[in-house]
Amino acid sequence: MPTFTYMTRCDGCGECVDICPSDIMHIDPVYRRSYNVEPNFCWECYSCVKACPQHAIDVRGFADFAPLGHSVRVLREEKMGTISWKIRYRDGRVKEFTFPIRTTPWGSIKPPSDYAAPDANALGSQMLAHEPTALGVEMLPTLPVLDKKEV
Amino acid sequence: MFTTNPFLPLSEFVSPAVMQGYVVLMALAVAVGTAFDLLHDRKFEFFLRDRKRRKAAAQRQLGGADMAAIAAKTLAHDVATFGEFCNRQRRISHVLMFYGFVLYLLTTIALIFVYPADTSTPAVLPLLWNLGALMTLLGGYWFFFLLRVNVVHDGQPPWRLVRADLFIVTLLASVSFALLFELAAMAGNPAATGLCAGLYILFTTALFVSVPWSKFAHMFYKPVVAFQRRVEEADGSSDLPSPTGGERCPPSHT
Ligand code: SF4
Ligand code: SF4
Repeated sequence: MPTFTYMTRCDGCGECVDICPSDIMHIDPVYRRSYNVEPNFCWECYSCVKACPQHAIDVRGFADFAPLGHSVRVLREEKMGTISWKIRYRDGRVKEFTFPIRTTPWGSIKPPSDYAAPDANALGSQMLAHEPTALGVEMLPTLPVLDKKEV
Repeated sequence: MFTTNPFLPLSEFVSPAVMQGYVVLMALAVAVGTAFDLLHDRKFEFFLRDRKRRKAAAQRQLGGADMAAIAAKTLAHDVATFGEFCNRQRRISHVLMFYGFVLYLLTTIALIFVYPADTSTPAVLPLLWNLGALMTLLGGYWFFFLLRVNVVHDGQPPWRLVRADLFIVTLLASVSFALLFELAAMAGNPAATGLCAGLYILFTTALFVSVPWSKFAHMFYKPVVAFQRRVEEADGSSDLPSPTGGERCPPSHT
């Protein structure tokens, strides 16, 4: 279910633009409010819905299976470590539930630029950049080196 | 210095009556522009529809006293201190721009209507006029170069202008040229004074006449929406889950 923005709620802060992994939350050049430029390509990860400090982003069902008119709103309470959802159905029923935030704390993930550039030899390695540090382990399990004669 | 009526040199080009007429015309342009924007963009219809939806979903009836209390809270928090913003820098820049612009506007009106072409203007008025202009420019240029969302988040260069910039650009140009005009007049350079006066009038007219196409009217809409949001919270029609810890802005965004 892709997202859309309530223009009256949005204040154009850009948090959703920053966080969208598909890069489809953009800023409208007329109203300077966000909008989903490619609903079809929305991963429906809801990162933007949870990140929006104005709670301006709602979630829309695809018309072929979910009748329009419902609303899905989210409140992220960082200090409490919870995300609360409120779903209002078209017939007026309301469902509310709260989940704990289970991801790493906001802002705690180092961007790639914060890591030292790997040296060129690393290209031949089976490890990805920043491994094993970024995974929080001392070393990665590797396959035993095969003896040439066995191949 | 900065204590004489900055509009005195302007009276060499136009009469005080023309200046006063111009101010009235600009006020009318804002009123007509906002009304046009409300109807043409169907914002009025949207607000009415939303009101209906809210009424149907309300769990409590709010009385006149409740509404007055909510209005007072909206004014004190959302309008006076821009409490709706979660990002502190955006908030401070808007406070500077808004209070600066209001101060600048009020002193302009006082200077033009009460002391037109009058050399005995009380020094405090021009001083406040300059202070208002400087606050507007400080908040405005800060916003324009460092806080505009398409520059910061969409990665576009600051010199790329789109329609949403019409308001901030005309505002900054108008106030900048007002100050430049004052400085040129003080320096006694007639050519520069004339040029700055012309550009000042040009951008000021553009600022007030472009309301239907610019973001000028957001100054009026934002308080309405903030009020609506508080009413929704109070009468139980809000779509948002209610904050348990009273936290509205996530700490990571402030
Ligand atoms: S739900 Fe995810 S993919 Fe869709 S717009 Fe929001 S952040 Fe982007
Ligand atoms: S995060 Fe919310 S308020 Fe900020 S631009 Fe996106 S929709 Fe608008």
